[in-house]
Amino acid sequence: MEAIIKLEDVSTVYEGERRPAIKNVNLTLERNELVYVVGPNAAGKTTLLETINGLLPLFRGSVSVLGLDVQTRGRAVRCEIGYVPQDFMVEPGEPYKALDVVLMGRYGRTGALHRPEDKDREKAVEAMRMLGLEELANRPMGKLSGGQQQKVMLARAIAKEPKILLLDEPFSNLDPESREKIPSLIMQLHEEKGLTTMIVTHDVHKMLKQCRRVIVMNDGKILVDESPEKALATVNGSAAFSLGVIQ
Amino acid sequence: MIGLEFTIMQRALLACVLAGFLTGLMGVFVVRMRLSAIGYSMSHGAFAGAALGIATSTNPLVTGVLFASATAFLIGPVADRARLHPDAITSIVFPLNMALAFVFLTLTPEIGLTSQVANVLWGSIISMTNSDIVYLVTLCAATLAIIHFTWKELFAIMFNRKLAEADGIPTKPFIYLIIFLSGVVVTISLKLVGGLLIYALLFNPASSALQFLEDMRKIVIASPLIGVATNLVGLAASLFLDLPVGSCIVLVSTIVFAVAVLLSPKRRRKEVQ
Repeated sequence: MEAIIKLEDVSTVYEGERRPAIKNVNLTLERNELVYVVGPNAAGKTTLLETINGLLPLFRGSVSVLGLDVQTRGRAVRCEIGYVPQDFMVEPGEPYKALDVVLMGRYGRTGALHRPEDKDREKAVEAMRMLGLEELANRPMGKLSGGQQQKVMLARAIAKEPKILLLDEPFSNLDPESREKIPSLIMQLHEEKGLTTMIVTHDVHKMLKQCRRVIVMNDGKILVDESPEKALATVNGSAAFSLGVIQ
Repeated sequence: MIGLEFTIMQRALLACVLAGFLTGLMGVFVVRMRLSAIGYSMSHGAFAGAALGIATSTNPLVTGVLFASATAFLIGPVADRARLHPDAITSIVFPLNMALAFVFLTLTPEIGLTSQVANVLWGSIISMTNSDIVYLVTLCAATLAIIHFTWKELFAIMFNRKLAEADGIPTKPFIYLIIFLSGVVVTISLKLVGGLLIYALLFNPASSALQFLEDMRKIVIASPLIGVATNLVGLAASLFLDLPVGSCIVLVSTIVFAVAVLLSPKRRRKEVQ
């Protein structure tokens, strides 16, 4: 199988910090793989995602995505990644319509100085429809609830027609009904479009049902890279997780 | 001041309209990209440059643009390269420019507080020349063209820089572009209200428009219109009350902002909730 994401001995240090946020990480994801990433707070999960899409500079090692080095071809790589950041919320008066925000997901693909075309708008509308947001298209982002804003971020990632999905706790603000529906939609997209998908989550039950591979992180390191059952057994037997950070 | 010559009045009116439009337009990008502190530094860079121009008998406009560009270069690419936080670099550059401006103004004792110096300090719309109007018109056309071609990227960066970067947009060049463009706009508009007040023209109209509107496209149209309106009302107030034009414009735009805050539908809804 083709390696879509490959990290070799990667360490990332935040500016002004001495301790790496992730340390000596080695990881390979193949095409169409779905991987859940779990771990306590400050385990390095978000740093791992932002290192993969090149938003954070590397301190050591190399990251290759879709055969491209993210340090030198970061922009090209990011055009192929649908990314949902953790806890993204806008201020109440934010003067952007939901459809505009979803359409922005396609800007990188549209190319510099080119305006989005009808096709781009259609993709944005389609992504909003998939997430049940069609009636909110012209509402300002600041007037949407936290869950609706999170769905807009997911629609933005989907509208991009990415090859890779990097989702950082994408279901945390959703209502119970959406928590059932949206993960299934992501699964469906992952299978139909052959997307390589990484999801940071605290919902261990969901991961048991949906994937074959789980990465457990703690203190910037990958502790376990196994099946959900084995990962869960390790987590349950580890003192690092005894505080119940992972429910 | 009422008895001013017709051509001087025409130039004053044109300058108010053009500078109000330009600063109101650029202000939206400066405020939304959270470059306000950088805006202060830029305006004082232009001020210091103009002061150098007076001290060395050079065209203050040229030295103003050079200084504003140098300031933009310092707080843009150089600060990024040195990994200096924007707050840190602006905190250094802002007083540095003020210090340089006052050194330049006192460098040549015979200059003193002449009308030329006073113009740079608090502006003089009646000293606007035909060349100044030509510069403003050219800059308006250039700014509109630049914004037209880079709108998509600027629109995304104004929403969220990190997300724009995550979508594959190279954000740095566009932010530098806005910093440099703001520097030039501030310098060319310096004669209107002077170096000490110019940044109010940059921030007040945009901040007022943001109180009322919930669509960024409408804000980008409304802010320059507010800029034009406040400049014209400020000019009229200055003529009738015989007060400095720059101060009147800033006072009017501040009143507009205060009214916008008080009447903002965004705030009202928040209270009802």
